[in-house]
Amino acid sequence: MNEEIKIFFEIAEKIFSKKIDHTIRINNSYKNKKFLELLNELKKSELTKLLMKEEFGGANFCFADIVPLIKLSAKYGLPLPFSETIIANYILSESNVKPTNDFSTLCYETSNITIVDDKVSGVLRSVPYLNITNFILAKINFNNKDYLIYFENKSGKPNQLKNFLAEPRFDLKIENEDLIYFLDFPSMIDFENLISNIKSIQSVGAMEKILELCINYCSDRKQFGRSLSKFQMIQNHISEIALETAASGASISIFQTHSKNKKSNENFFDLKNTAIAKIRTGLASGKIIASSHQAHGAMGFTKEYELSYFTKNLNSWRNDFGNETYWQNILGEMFIKQNKGMWEFLN
Amino acid sequence: MSEFIFPYVEETNFLKNLRLEVREFVKNIFKKNCITPSPDAWVFGANTDFSKQLGKKGWLGMSFPKKYGGHERSMLERYVVTEELLVSGAPVAAHWIADRQSGSQILRFGTEEQKQDIIPKITSGECYFAIGMSEPDSGSDLASVKTKAEKTSTGWKLNGRKIWSTGAHLAHYMIVLVRTAPQLENNRHSGLSQFLVDLSLPGVTINGIEDMTGQKHFNETIFDGVELKKEALLGKEGEGWKQVVGELALERSGPERFLSHFVLLDNFINEFRSKISDLGQSALGKIISELQTLRVMSFSIASMIETGQSPETQAAFVKELGNAFEKQLVETIRGMSNLIPFNKWSPGLKSLFEDATLRIPSNSLRGGTSEIMKGIISKQLGLR
Repeated sequence: MNEEIKIFFEIAEKIFSKKIDHTIRINNSYKNKKFLELLNELKKSELTKLLMKEEFGGANFCFADIVPLIKLSAKYGLPLPFSETIIANYILSESNVKPTNDFSTLCYETSNITIVDDKVSGVLRSVPYLNITNFILAKINFNNKDYLIYFENKSGKPNQLKNFLAEPRFDLKIENEDLIYFLDFPSMIDFENLISNIKSIQSVGAMEKILELCINYCSDRKQFGRSLSKFQMIQNHISEIALETAASGASISIFQTHSKNKKSNENFFDLKNTAIAKIRTGLASGKIIASSHQAHGAMGFTKEYELSYFTKNLNSWRNDFGNETYWQNILGEMFIKQNKGMWEFLN
Repeated sequence: MSEFIFPYVEETNFLKNLRLEVREFVKNIFKKNCITPSPDAWVFGANTDFSKQLGKKGWLGMSFPKKYGGHERSMLERYVVTEELLVSGAPVAAHWIADRQSGSQILRFGTEEQKQDIIPKITSGECYFAIGMSEPDSGSDLASVKTKAEKTSTGWKLNGRKIWSTGAHLAHYMIVLVRTAPQLENNRHSGLSQFLVDLSLPGVTINGIEDMTGQKHFNETIFDGVELKKEALLGKEGEGWKQVVGELALERSGPERFLSHFVLLDNFINEFRSKISDLGQSALGKIISELQTLRVMSFSIASMIETGQSPETQAAFVKELGNAFEKQLVETIRGMSNLIPFNKWSPGLKSLFEDATLRIPSNSLRGGTSEIMKGIISKQLGLR
């Protein structure tokens, strides 16, 4: 981490550690005073602008620089569309559009989209954090071409999904909302790649937190007259979590490093490296969820205790944008089609 | 400490070219000498001529000082050479332990005379080592070793037995962990020392032990009143535990912990590429992801060692994840053959598969069991 990004990392850690507690994760609404404090602190910090061009008030960092920051936000269980806003701000800025100062969210699943006289209608699915922001950057297919639209939802009523996710997601029907921007799909962005990588990074953050929770809980709680952490079976569960967390961290470092070497007109990420990380973090997530709940006993199964927030997130992120089987197929097919030996493919 | 980071180290073009050089060399020498690739070749594939050829190329003792016949190349270069040898299934067992860990121990703790005498022979591929750690009653509990060295007027007298020493029947030396003083009550790692033992000395008997594959690659070594000179003490008296732990980082972190059976994978793909089903394709995707991740971790450790760090715990991560991966790899290849009945496999591939299947249980035992690896990790996490 270079010195410049380290400063922002420290700012973020200060805000997250002071302002996030579990109560605001399970009650992240504007009615909650503590939640509002967090929201305002983050807005003031301008952390969501780090990827933006300097002329729009950004810091012009590259994607690799902000990986630790996204991971940190997931580790603290930040209940805000933080990475979504960073990405939206970046895409808008790269397309020479000045983003708003508000948080934004992203939408990847749309249907029946129509645009008439700069007004957009249609259905948006599984949009995160519509309880926090009305600004939406959505990928749409219009006249058989991919576009990005950016608009503020003023009249549509979000319908919160009943699902197993920790972060709130909504379906939304919109009618004649004013388009703020309608963008040709930027050439350097492969949305699926980008967001898949974000999910892998977030997963590693959640894993780090789960490991910490397991160590602390099992060290404090006593059964049969000694700490749970003194039982070898429990130690095995926790070391399994440490092993899988470390491997997942290593897997994201591949696309992180390679994205630095890309020229601005190329896709940031090789599909191969995205797949490697999404598979590895997905596989690790399954093991970590099982082992961490086992180590915690019934306490981990409650909403009141933190663990479930993080394991629900892991469950969500491992399925978003293709689970590990989906990416295994892509990667396996890529290998078979290249008609190279395995070692050549790997090097 | 609850976070273990393996910083990504980029492979330079120089290293990529070194890879190609090794690959070409191995291809030619295999052809010239009719060598067949085999799985687990760093344990089972001893070929002293091949070791000497590697020595001539400068690919043994690569990081050792030039004044002892080494080449002062980086641990990253050594890593690349090691990977290429492993994936080709090259017969590297004779020199493996000397090159991987024993040479480094002598350079760190040996006398000047030992360095001058032994290191050049290691780098030329002519001097081989075995590991003298486990004993019949001390396996995972290494600190409980009973082999003893007692001071005499001329040096030391060694008595005891070591077991599971791979390649001891071919080796010239063994670095032996022994008790030189009783264990202190509050420190069970006290009173241990390492000795550099010439295996040709009177009183040393090496008995091969047949493993479940029917081969005798590991041994029982008996020390019956072996007279050792004072200089045979490697490092400091009583610091054997500390020294041995440092050695284990070299032993556990390398690519042999996840590339031992790559030959089987490669051969399976070459034979059945067009017949691999969608299920098999997905299984390959999983293998690629896990393997590349392990390579990042292991290469990162090579870089840590290069910069003078002591990544013993990180080595346990690679060993544990690598061993689990390899076990799964052999099972996955078995599973991928759902459309290709076993009787359609070529005799060569079938033989590789059978060898791998038989040898795989030893992966998570040698160099420390899975339970010990998890114990090391637990300790670092503050659970013990």
